[in-house]
Amino acid sequence: MNAWQLFYRQFFELEGYRNVLIGLKNTAVIAVIGLMIGMVIGCLLATTKIVPKKNKLIGFLSGATSVYVSIFRGTPMVVQLLLIHFVLLPALGIHIPLLMEAVLAFGLNSGAYVSEIMRGGILSVDGGQTEAGRALGLTYGKTMIKVVLPQAIKNVVPTLGNEFIALLKETSVVSFITIVDLTKSFQNIANSTYEYIVPYVVLALIYLVLVLIVTSIIKLIERRLRASDKR
Amino acid sequence: MISVKNIYKNFKDVSVLRGVSCNINNGERVVIIGPSGSGKSTLLRCMNLLEEPTYGEVWLDGKLVTPPDPYLHSDVIKTSKTYDRLANENPNASPEEIVKKIKDEDLLGKREGKAYKAALKKIDDENGIDINLARQKMGMVFQHFNLFNNLTVMENLMLAPVQLKLKTKEEAEAKATELLHRIGLYDKKDEYPSRLSGGQKQRIAIIRALAMDPDAILFDEPTSALDPEMVGEVLDLIRQLANEGMTMVIVTHEMGFAKEVGTRIIFVDEGHIKEEAPPAEFFANPKDERLKEFLSKVL
Ligand SMILES: Nc1ncnc2c1ncn2[C@@H]1O[C@H](COP(=O)(O)OP(=O)(O)O)[C@@H](O)[C@H]1O
Ligand SMILES: [Mg+2]
Repeated sequence: MNAWQLFYRQFFELEGYRNVLIGLKNTAVIAVIGLMIGMVIGCLLATTKIVPKKNKLIGFLSGATSVYVSIFRGTPMVVQLLLIHFVLLPALGIHIPLLMEAVLAFGLNSGAYVSEIMRGGILSVDGGQTEAGRALGLTYGKTMIKVVLPQAIKNVVPTLGNEFIALLKETSVVSFITIVDLTKSFQNIANSTYEYIVPYVVLALIYLVLVLIVTSIIKLIERRLRASDKR
Repeated sequence: MISVKNIYKNFKDVSVLRGVSCNINNGERVVIIGPSGSGKSTLLRCMNLLEEPTYGEVWLDGKLVTPPDPYLHSDVIKTSKTYDRLANENPNASPEEIVKKIKDEDLLGKREGKAYKAALKKIDDENGIDINLARQKMGMVFQHFNLFNNLTVMENLMLAPVQLKLKTKEEAEAKATELLHRIGLYDKKDEYPSRLSGGQKQRIAIIRALAMDPDAILFDEPTSALDPEMVGEVLDLIRQLANEGMTMVIVTHEMGFAKEVGTRIIFVDEGHIKEEAPPAEFFANPKDERLKEFLSKVL
C-alpha cells in the first residue's frame, strides 16, 4: 500500500474520521467559546482602563488589570494551561470536564489580549464623540454604549479576527492535558500507520481552510460595519 | 441665565483662565473674541463643565452647576480649621482680614473639618443641579461638528431626546423632520455624517442642539473648520436663531458677524476678560491696548 492508500484505509475504513470530527469539534468549541469569554473579560478589563479615574476602586481595578494582562501575555499559553489543569483547579478543589478547563484557560488568556485590543479601539475613537454625547446631557455610560463602543468595535474587528485566528491555531496545545483536538486526531492516525507525510499535509490543509473561512467571515463583518463609512 | 463666577482653570502648571466672571442674560447674544490660545474655548467649555474649573462657580438659572467653591463663600471659610488656626494665631485680626488672607493665599486644604464639609454640602444640596440636566438646557456646537459617526443624520437628531426620555420616538422624529426641512436637508436624513459636506455637518450639529429645545446654545468657532464657501450657510442659520431670540454665546473669528449678531462682545486675553461692551462701542472705541492691537490685525 502506498501512503495515500494507508491514509485512506485508516481515515475511512478504520473510521479515523470519527476521531478527526471530535478533534475538529473540540478545536472549534475551545476557540469560539474561548474568544467569547475573552471578549466579555476583555471588555470588562478595558473598562477599568478607560473610565475617567475618579476614585480609589477604579484605580485599584486598573492596577489589577495591568497585573492580569502582564501575567497572561508574559507566559506561554501551554504553561497557563498546565498551571490551570495541574495546579489551580486541584488547589481550588474544582472538578470540571477537561474541555471546560481548556475553554476556561483560553478564555482567560484571550481576555488579556482582547482587553488591550478594546482599549486601543476605544482610544482610537475621537474624543469629540464623547464630548458631543456628554454636551447633550447623556451620561458617560450611555455615550459609551450608544456612540463610542459601536465605533470602537468596528475599528477592532480586523484585530479581533487576528486574535481569533491565533487562538484557533494555538488550541493544538490542549493535547498536553489529554484533550483530542484536530492536531491530536491526525497525530493518532499518523502514529497508527507510521506514515506521516499524508496525515500532516492534510492536517495543515484543514487548518488553512479553517483560517481562510474565518478570514472571509471577518471580511464580511467588516464590510457590513463599514456601511457608515461609505464616501 | 448663565452666570460665571470667578473662574480659574489650570491645566497642570499652565494657568489658562485667571479669574473670569460674566453673566449671560436671557436673549443675549454674547460673542467672545480673542487671540488663539487665550482661553476662549476653555471658558465656553467650563460653562457646561466639559472642563471642570479649578476654582469658581457656574450657575444656570439660579442653580449651581459646578461644585460649590468655598472661596466664594466667606461663611464657609469661617467654618474651616484653617480659619480657626489663623484666628488663634492672630487674635487681633478681624474675621474679614483672616478670610481675605485665606482667599488671597489659597490656604484651604482638603481636610478642613466636619463643619466645613457640612457647610459646603448644604450649599450644594440647596442649589446644586445635576450636570446632565444642566447640559440638556445648554446646547453646544463644536468647531469640528462632532456628529456621531456611527449614526445616521436622523439618529443623530433623535438619540439624546429619546434616550433622555424628553420625547417619545415619534415626537423626536417629528421634531427632527421639521428641523431638517427647515435647513433643507431632509433628503439626507438616512445618510451617515461621512457623506456630508462640512457645512451640512455643522448645520445638522446645530439642529441636533435645537432638537433638545435648549434655553441657550454655546458655539465654539462654528465656522473655523469650514471651507470658505460653506461659512455663509452656517452663519445664516445662526443668524436666524439669533433673530428668533435664542440665547447664545459664540466664540468666533468672524468680526463682521460678531458686530452684526452680537448684543455684547467680550475680549478674552491671557485668561482674563479685558474688555466687554456692546458691538458698536466695542469696535469703534476699544480701550484696552491689547484689544486695539488685536483688532488692528483682524479687521
Ligand atoms: N486639555 C488641555 N490640556 C492642556 N492644555 C490645554 C487643554 N486645553 C487647552 N489647553 C491650553 O489652554 C490654552 C487655551 O486654550 P483654548 O481655550 O483652546 O484657547 P482658544 O480657544 O482661545 O484658542 C492653550 O494654551 C491650550 O494649549
Ligand atoms: Mg478655541
